[in-house]
Amino acid sequence: MTALESWLSSSPGSAAPLWTLEGLRGADPVLGFALVMLAAVALAELLHRKLRAPRMLGHMITGALASPLALRLLDRTDLDPWKPIIDLAIGVLVFELGSRIRPRWLIDNPWLAFTCVLEGVLAGLCVAATLVSLGAPAPSAWLAGAVAMSTSPVITLVLVHEVRSRGQVTERLLIITAINTALAMLALKAWNVVAAAGSVNIGNELVPVITDAVVVIGGSFLLGIFAGWLLAKLNQPLRDAAAAPVLQIALVILAAMVAAQWKLSPLLALLIAGMAARSKMGHMLTVEPQLGSAGAVLTVLLFIALGMLFTLDGISTLWPWVIAILAARVVGKGVAVALLARLSALSWRQAAALTLTLQPMSSLAVLLAGNTFGWASQFPGVAGGVLQALLIATTLSHLVGPVLTKWSLQSLADECPQPAAKGS
Amino acid sequence: MSLAEFTTSEALTLGVELELQLVSMHDHDLSPQADDLLRELERHTGAWDVKPEITRSMIEIGTSIQRQHAPLVAELTDLRQQLSRAARKLNIGIAGGGTHAYQHWSEQQIYPTDRFHYISELYGYLAKQFTVFGQHVHVGCENGDTALWLLHALSRYVPHFIALSASSPYVQGVDTGFDSARLNSVFAFPLSGRAPFVRSWDEFGVYFDKMTSTGVVQSMKDFYWDIRPKPEFGTIELRVCDTPLTVDKAAALACYLQCICRYLREEKPFEPEEDDYLVYTFNRFQACRFGLDGEIVDPKTKTRQKLRDDILRTLARVDEHALDLQALNASQLIRDTLHEGNDAQWLRSRRKGGMPLSAVVEDATKRWMS
Repeated sequence: MTALESWLSSSPGSAAPLWTLEGLRGADPVLGFALVMLAAVALAELLHRKLRAPRMLGHMITGALASPLALRLLDRTDLDPWKPIIDLAIGVLVFELGSRIRPRWLIDNPWLAFTCVLEGVLAGLCVAATLVSLGAPAPSAWLAGAVAMSTSPVITLVLVHEVRSRGQVTERLLIITAINTALAMLALKAWNVVAAAGSVNIGNELVPVITDAVVVIGGSFLLGIFAGWLLAKLNQPLRDAAAAPVLQIALVILAAMVAAQWKLSPLLALLIAGMAARSKMGHMLTVEPQLGSAGAVLTVLLFIALGMLFTLDGISTLWPWVIAILAARVVGKGVAVALLARLSALSWRQAAALTLTLQPMSSLAVLLAGNTFGWASQFPGVAGGVLQALLIATTLSHLVGPVLTKWSLQSLADECPQPAAKGS
Repeated sequence: MSLAEFTTSEALTLGVELELQLVSMHDHDLSPQADDLLRELERHTGAWDVKPEITRSMIEIGTSIQRQHAPLVAELTDLRQQLSRAARKLNIGIAGGGTHAYQHWSEQQIYPTDRFHYISELYGYLAKQFTVFGQHVHVGCENGDTALWLLHALSRYVPHFIALSASSPYVQGVDTGFDSARLNSVFAFPLSGRAPFVRSWDEFGVYFDKMTSTGVVQSMKDFYWDIRPKPEFGTIELRVCDTPLTVDKAAALACYLQCICRYLREEKPFEPEEDDYLVYTFNRFQACRFGLDGEIVDPKTKTRQKLRDDILRTLARVDEHALDLQALNASQLIRDTLHEGNDAQWLRSRRKGGMPLSAVVEDATKRWMS
């Protein structure tokens, strides 16, 4: 028996051969992840060709199938060693999103700026109010509202790359996503402050929390500006286009590590870094989609991880709250977009498309405020039922949202390249 | 379909049409957002007109009927301001220039109208390659016979307008070496180039009937000639100009044409003949390739000289008419162009220092919108 056959015939954690389900469960997590990635790419391609589904859906479904939710090939704790790489994948996408934002547009079209704020706030208010009316504890409902403000920047950006959309809905989707993600992070920090204010000893609890919030937001902002400036300086002597993505990834890692070290928000810092770099470098900043091929691999890994975090536990009892979160969110965002559509120069059809594209909810809002996947540990005291309903709602919006977004951009907004006509 | 009657219009009146680029403010590539801009401009306050063009990344604007330089500049300036305001609201850039420096024709989307779908079906990929941007100038004529006489008399001056307006050195990301590469795209169309040498409207009607009977053309719109009659407007239409980078240049070119037309009509310095066209394609090529540094062969005297010098001499000859038409400012701008260089040179100067083409497009956008 050769070494390879021996390696394939059994896994370290199990006596069963590697090609069996039991063998795969006992396999080295790194090997397991590699196999899951292969399966993810294959499933994504299959779904894309047969159903025209976004590829990320295949990646997430593979993650979900490998997770304790289905085949139990990987545990969620298996994600821990991959956490820095997953953070990097998110960081890469958030930096790129920042680089696509042109803040000047908000001055040229103040109604758009108003839309960016109103759609987040109204979605949050609608979700919180609906949950309270259904009997959820107020602090928990407000937390759910804060999370519901945001749209997933990861799903949005990767989908825009995949369908190559260009137009008003796409541009607005990107700027709104960036802003409502930052707003959600602010809301979550504010929630921490308010939750602390509710405690008995205000002097001991509230002041440090407010200070922490200010330091995190202000510090992340300054770090982002500095990172953008540094990238511009480092880029100056370089004329090699191939070196640009390497430099950008290195800077993303550096900024994220400094932010983590100083307990700032790495992702807010990277969003600002992208904007600062664009503003400082202008045309000298060329950001490849997902910062190039390596970034694209990281993105697949990220979506597998998001799939592994899917949960439907307790849906049989929590479904009214889940539906309430999803429905109130659609209504909140839809009303805000519709109210300001014509004033901000958007047609009704585009407004409908924009509302639907904003639906993939972001677990990133929580990640922006914290630094692990452990939601419950980030927000002690939140009612377990509400948190679980929020997680289920996120799962469902990650499954349905990309399909809705793709359809909206392609069919409703008509912003994707038209298929080549026969013979042309 | 038979040829329409030639509508009578006031001699030497002007109408200017400009095809404009819509670019993304992110990467400055063409952006298919014509519908958004047209919707935003539905309630504009001017007498001018704005409409879609063959792809969704283009629009065409047209002035009202004008007689003099100053009101033409005023209208174009108002038009530019309203267009720019709407574009800023939508985060779109608007630029002049005969070509976009690095757009890929295959990514362009045909604007959904019956006419554009017909062109797309008929010409295949040429339709998308027709994502080029020109200035058309209409000059009013009192009847069809005068229109055709003027059309042929003007052929000698076509290189002037090509060289002065040239602003399309870059195509698909490379410097073509041409000052006006746009006309090479137009030349791919089977019914492009010069109009047939017929001198009366009746004769032209016979030619038109022959062409329609072959099924090759259905209307005057199917002719992509450098200068063509427009019977429904009562004009001839000069179509060789690239869209300049500023509205001031566009107005100056229109008025330079107006001055030459007046000079030709009133002084009748020569009688057009078929042999004038022997050098037409050579002169046209020289102007496209070398711009103002090209050479021109005079079809009458057979002498060869620099195009820049020929324009200077022409300006001197038409100065009196420019004075009468109150177009001296336009003549001065044309003279300045001879010294400073055309827009193709301006675009190339932006590229110096290793700036990427996206920076060149952004600079052109700023120049048009400011």
